[in-house]
Amino acid sequence: MKPPASGRAARPGASRPAEARAPGPASAARGRGMNAAVVLGPLSAAVVLLALMPALLPTASLLNLQSALGLALFACATNLLVGYGGLVSFGQGAFYGIGAYVIALAWLHWQAPFWASFIVAPFAGAAMALLVGLVALRARRLYFALLTLAFSQLFYVVVLQQTGFTGGANGVFGTILPPLLSDPGHAYYFTLTVAVLGLLILWRITRSPFGMTLRAIRENRERAEALGVNVFAHQLMAFVIAGGFCALAGTLFVVLDQSANPDLLNWTQSGYPIFMAVLGGQFVFLGPALGALIYEQGRDVVLASFSDWQLVFGLLLLIVVLFSPDGVAGLLVRGRDIARRRLRSLRR
Amino acid sequence: MTGPNVIVTFLSAMTEASSLFIAAAGLTLVFGAMRIINIAHGSFFAYGAFLVTTLVGASAGGSFWLALAVAGLAVGAMGAAVEVTVLRRVYRRDHLVQLVVTYALFLILADVALHLWGTQARSVRPPSMLSGSVAIGSRSFPAYDLFAIGAAIVTGLAMWALLQRTALGWRIRAAVEDPELLAASGTNVPLLYTTVFSIGGLLAGLAGAIGSPLQSISPGLDASVLVSAFIVAVIGGLGSVAGAAIGAVIISLFDTAGVLWAPGWEPAFIYLAMIAVLALRPSGLLGTAER
Amino acid sequence: MTAVLLDIHQLGKRFDGFAAVEDLDLAVWPGTIHSVIGPNGAGKTTFFRLLTGILRPTHGTVIFDGQDITGLRPHAVTRRGLTQSFQITNVFPRMSVIESVQTAILARRRRSWDFVTSYHRKVEQEALGLLGQVGLQELAGNMAQTLSHGDQRILEVALALATQPRMLLLDEPTAGMSPFETDRMVRLVTELARERGLTVLLSEHDMDVVFGISDEVTVLHQGRVIAHGPPGQVQDDQHVTEVYLGGEA
Repeated sequence: MKPPASGRAARPGASRPAEARAPGPASAARGRGMNAAVVLGPLSAAVVLLALMPALLPTASLLNLQSALGLALFACATNLLVGYGGLVSFGQGAFYGIGAYVIALAWLHWQAPFWASFIVAPFAGAAMALLVGLVALRARRLYFALLTLAFSQLFYVVVLQQTGFTGGANGVFGTILPPLLSDPGHAYYFTLTVAVLGLLILWRITRSPFGMTLRAIRENRERAEALGVNVFAHQLMAFVIAGGFCALAGTLFVVLDQSANPDLLNWTQSGYPIFMAVLGGQFVFLGPALGALIYEQGRDVVLASFSDWQLVFGLLLLIVVLFSPDGVAGLLVRGRDIARRRLRSLRR
Repeated sequence: MTGPNVIVTFLSAMTEASSLFIAAAGLTLVFGAMRIINIAHGSFFAYGAFLVTTLVGASAGGSFWLALAVAGLAVGAMGAAVEVTVLRRVYRRDHLVQLVVTYALFLILADVALHLWGTQARSVRPPSMLSGSVAIGSRSFPAYDLFAIGAAIVTGLAMWALLQRTALGWRIRAAVEDPELLAASGTNVPLLYTTVFSIGGLLAGLAGAIGSPLQSISPGLDASVLVSAFIVAVIGGLGSVAGAAIGAVIISLFDTAGVLWAPGWEPAFIYLAMIAVLALRPSGLLGTAER
Repeated sequence: MTAVLLDIHQLGKRFDGFAAVEDLDLAVWPGTIHSVIGPNGAGKTTFFRLLTGILRPTHGTVIFDGQDITGLRPHAVTRRGLTQSFQITNVFPRMSVIESVQTAILARRRRSWDFVTSYHRKVEQEALGLLGQVGLQELAGNMAQTLSHGDQRILEVALALATQPRMLLLDEPTAGMSPFETDRMVRLVTELARERGLTVLLSEHDMDVVFGISDEVTVLHQGRVIAHGPPGQVQDDQHVTEVYLGGEA
């Protein structure tokens, strides 16, 4: 049925290993952007720095940082699908919102203790992701994106409509948090801890055999299938994991804002983690976290002087996407590589 | 329900379908020929509407028709400009990149719109010759709404003629259904893409312009229209203008029926319908199968 | 007497009335190299797709290693020990060479569900060994998409080997290759069959390759078998010569 593989002129001889990489397994890890030793050092430093923030920053900036941490978890969880899995889901806001609403509604209707709802929320998100994934993952590429968008909107309109149960457009607000978390410092530390732990687990997953298989599926779905991998099952699992962690990020929203509102489930909300991932860099694990930080801090800075945050963010996205496909993190990695090479040549 | 009531209800639904159809037609054409989901499509619609408010002001005048034409053409030109400067660079990149680019445009256009037109809701009154109403039995129906329906029909016929009877239309259909044939035919593909995208923009701007007397024009219009246009395009079948027409009619009838019998639930049902179509028959009612 | 490894009976596939493959009988013995040849459109690729489960046959059976694998999904066929290496180069572009092989080994060992350990590190040695067997160990760290066509094809074979198949299907393994690369592929295939007992079923256009290394040759024409047997016998077959006078040779 298919003609022989013509049209592709064979290059004589073997490939030249000249891609600035030494052969061998270590370089394979480097090729992925980060290996454990490289990451954990600066990362621990970053965590320590973040832990000191309450002493250094005014409350407003602290809240900002807290928001960024929650968004970082949201974005990195989404990137498990987008960057690692190649699945552009425009519906992660649904799970983010579910996480927030589980806590808010449990408090509102049954006076459930925060800690109980907090435990339940990620599992609720994961369970919902299972249901959505079973339907959505049957479609490919753009249709998958549209399906997830439709689900996000479906949840949005249902929550909006069920005013009696969900509070409708006004959402739910009140003293949802337990006394322990009412203190801004405590709330910050709680968010920091949850975010860091969540990110660590996600990171572990991306660097596991499952993560490697997910990437292979992203690169070539049919080839992975032909190797004996059940592609649908693996993608569904990734979707469920992402849903759970997005819901966890949603609970952190409640910690920040003591509220839940329907807009969390809207498609525009679902777009944010994707754009943060693209901005920060999809192919580096912490890229989306960087994107979240840039978004949150950038918004703060820009809104202080003039109100055109949308314009700035839009232009930023455009520039990054057009000129640095692997995001800001990609820029940094390349910059570091160039600097290293210069240093090496200087030493000779 | 009495005869005139049924007719009026039906016509109201068709009015809703009208600008929805024209907007969705542009979206579906662009997706079919270029495989791009243009998130800024709703922005084009909003700009069409806003431009009319500026050109006409709150007072009705003979310049309404001119405003329609200018709005459509201006937004069409915007589309061409966007395609040439930005979109062209990302054709060979993956879909996510294209999505991000059109989303970035959506953000930028939204911000610029705030500067140009502020945050207050605006409205336009229909031109004097259409400001009255038509009697249908004992009920009356706004004349402008009839015009809107007529405009949609005319646009639909024009699109049909374009696609079926012109060389450009042949090329567009080839781009949708048989890209290999298109490539082999020696067509200037970049020029074709620019043309298709600007037609998409023109249709969106025109839809916004025609719809401007029918709704309140405010920030947020871009996002809401985008989703509606998508629903219609998906259900009708991405890539098919006829499908967009059918989809628009179905959705608006659904909406109207929903308001009567299960108020509040229409949006949910509509999204469920969209999900059902995408999951079971992604090519929608009349669309081409996924390549 | 050794049992037949691949036993195909009356295999057929129709597309809307058009018979791409019809009445196909074929038997492949273990440890042999069996070639399938025929002009373009003879049905070779369809035939392979029927074997590996990408297509479902309209009728007929495929018995592999005593088990009926007719119509099984591709990943199930692979698990039974029958693996295809693809014609159109089908690697994982943005993964490194060694990562690609690691993935294949993980799949075979059913460790692709492992979320927590660094098990893939443990299979690195095995992956390197496999790359050594096919001569790609120098390029282990390179991104697959940077490899030359010939090297990608060899990587393809390595991926197939990682599933530890009993039988390997090679769809035009030397297509688009330079003489140097063709030679390398031929030597690899021969070594796999002779020294490691792997059974190879390949489709080819390069007649030098076919008649040079095959134990048996089957000729397809318009979806049917028109000749089969040892290379010499097929080369002398009149019908075969006729069929090829108008086509590729």
